[in-house]
Amino acid sequence: MNVRSQVSMVFHLDKCIGCHTCSIACKNVWTDRKGAEYMWWNNVETKPGTGYPTKWEDQEKYKGGWEKKNGGIRLKSTGKGRIVPNIFHNPSQPSMDDYYEPWTYKYDELFNAPEGPDQPTARPVSMVTGEYINVESGPNWDDDLGGSRQYAENDPNLDALTEDQRQALFSVEQLVFFYFPRICNHCLNPGCVAACPSGALYKRGEDGIVLIDQKKCRGWRSCVAACPYKKTYYNWSTGKSEKCILCFPRLETGQAPACFHSCVGRIRYLGVLLYDADKIQEVANLPDDQLVDAQRSMILDPHDENVIEAARKNGIHESVIESAQASPVYKFVKEWKLALPPHIEYRTLPMLFYVPPLSPVMASLDDTLTSIDKDFFHDVEESRVPLKFLASLLGGGSEGKVLYALKKMKAIRIYRRAMTVGDITMETAQRALKEADCTIEQAEAIYKLTSLCTFDERFVIPPMNREEAIEMMKDPHEHRTNTGFGFVDSPKRSF
Amino acid sequence: MYMAAIVAAALLLLYTSASAQETEEYFRQNCMSCHTIGGGRLTGPDLKDVESRKDRDWLVRFMLDPRGVIESGDPYAQELLSQARGAIMPSFPTMTKKRAGQLLDLIAEESKLERSQFKGLQVSDRPFTEADVDKGRRLFMGYERLENKAAPCISCHAINDIPGLGGGTLAPDLTTVYERYSGRKTLSTWLSAPATPSMQSVFKPQPLTPDEVLALTAFFEHTLQRNPTDPSTARLNFLLIGVGAVVLILGVFDVIWNKRFRSVRRVLVNSVNEEILKRANSESKDA
Repeated sequence: MNVRSQVSMVFHLDKCIGCHTCSIACKNVWTDRKGAEYMWWNNVETKPGTGYPTKWEDQEKYKGGWEKKNGGIRLKSTGKGRIVPNIFHNPSQPSMDDYYEPWTYKYDELFNAPEGPDQPTARPVSMVTGEYINVESGPNWDDDLGGSRQYAENDPNLDALTEDQRQALFSVEQLVFFYFPRICNHCLNPGCVAACPSGALYKRGEDGIVLIDQKKCRGWRSCVAACPYKKTYYNWSTGKSEKCILCFPRLETGQAPACFHSCVGRIRYLGVLLYDADKIQEVANLPDDQLVDAQRSMILDPHDENVIEAARKNGIHESVIESAQASPVYKFVKEWKLALPPHIEYRTLPMLFYVPPLSPVMASLDDTLTSIDKDFFHDVEESRVPLKFLASLLGGGSEGKVLYALKKMKAIRIYRRAMTVGDITMETAQRALKEADCTIEQAEAIYKLTSLCTFDERFVIPPMNREEAIEMMKDPHEHRTNTGFGFVDSPKRSF
Repeated sequence: MYMAAIVAAALLLLYTSASAQETEEYFRQNCMSCHTIGGGRLTGPDLKDVESRKDRDWLVRFMLDPRGVIESGDPYAQELLSQARGAIMPSFPTMTKKRAGQLLDLIAEESKLERSQFKGLQVSDRPFTEADVDKGRRLFMGYERLENKAAPCISCHAINDIPGLGGGTLAPDLTTVYERYSGRKTLSTWLSAPATPSMQSVFKPQPLTPDEVLALTAFFEHTLQRNPTDPSTARLNFLLIGVGAVVLILGVFDVIWNKRFRSVRRVLVNSVNEEILKRANSESKDA
């Protein structure tokens, strides 16, 4: 057992209101710079929808992630042999049009327009070329199903549905959508790290955050092609690639990342998971339908004495183990089995998990009333967002995992309704919980962490112990004598 | 004092004999490709008793700067030029007044002999065979290595007998060289010890063997029967072949990287827009 620690995340899609506050928080802190205008380390997509960059889930085109080959797995986009003939032009590179061309407006023309018969306007100009452009696309162009003929209907996850289901999904009375906020998943088997020819990408040993060393990066952009979630971006100004850094400077000072901190719907949870790094290869090689369970089995119980012992042996700090024991992520993923990894069939083993959303019941005129006593989960199975769609997005293709999570959530709603409204008897609620594999204690805990959670319950940030982590890279005594004063811009003797 | 005189005399003797030998060597390497002494004219005239034809001053002046003298309009120089069919003697950077004097001394010495060592090479006069021509072509093209490992002719020269892109363009086209160097004897002699500076730098350390000279001469005689390539069409051909090759290579790239990433969003939007437009059109027609 090779125990490592990983700062992991849960996004509760049932709570997301699609306000994009997270995206703006991130943009303001990190990507409001030249060359980074088009980057959204955090973005919120509407599902069904094609997302950003357009249709990123279509790996036939984008060639992200891993594929099974010759008994093992290999990157779809590149490899040791394949990188040589493609060294001068990476053939799986998205173009700027697939993201969008960033723009601003010429406000000068609005405010300083001479008096005339026409209404002055601020024309859009490209932030790349500086020339006037016709805005054709943006980072959330298909927000709330905008332009759904072009975009939503081409969501790759819809391929799992039958033609009837697809038709039903877009008929006017049954239109449905939910939000899908995305950041870097800080995967256990990251394609970006594997693809980098310069060795510029690395996964931090102490917390598993995946970073790009800006000094080592040579702008090959192999990571851009290899990441199936398209969460590494090439900065055309600096000639280096960049990605979400999980706000590690904030984490190191005990603050939640900017997108987590600012989340209006309080959908985001962050905490440490302990996992067995020896199992990564074995798990990543399993068939699609076993991946969700196998990834869960890699995540270790932080209360288990053996795990704690192995963690100590691996140099994981006592404070981090304690933090892992209080981790909300562990509860959502492992204990309650509510949170699921997005597109685990890409085999990067993402460490950001999503609680699937409940959606309105598929109602028709002759069947508007369903007796809750008889069939608790009728509406879950018949929900407007087809299970197959959610399974394609979050379940590695199998509906069972999604159904399990949705049933449990629904049972807890029934239970809370019995508690607070009282139009359902407690016996009925308890039967529902039992059917959903949930105890009353668990239902209470889930209810609390979902609805009444405080800041500190949502974000259990481990002490980062930088003073110890730095020993992996350099000698602290040497480090001490090299910093201390003027380490941003050191003073130099000059005239 | 006495001893010193002997040493000085010995040194002087050594120097003069060394100098005489050096001059002979110089003549062999630089002059013999075009001149003989008592062997008849090659590209340049036979130098036997040259001083009876023109005085030493004039000769030295000519040796130092042949082109200058010719261009100055000197009548005798003009005559020489027409005899040599327009071939101008190259200027030798190593030629000095002193060297010219030494050479003229040597020529005077050798002219007195019945049979000078510089009478000229014994060039075989057996008729050329098909095999000679073929070997010559192979040597020219570099299919067969020159025995002393000099670079093959094609590195610098072109000739009309070559398929494809032709030879090098650094040096003159050799299609008519047989005619320009007035036949077998002259050309053979010239090839045995080429006189121009660029040829010398290549072939002095690694000369052609008599066999190779014969083969190449045979080859050059053979090429004479064809027309020289027109340089302008050759250049155009080169350009056209280049453009064709670029198009071909790009085509091959397109096939190899056929599965490369192409625009997703624009294609998606355009296809749906087209569909909508088509439907609108058909509806308006129905109405």
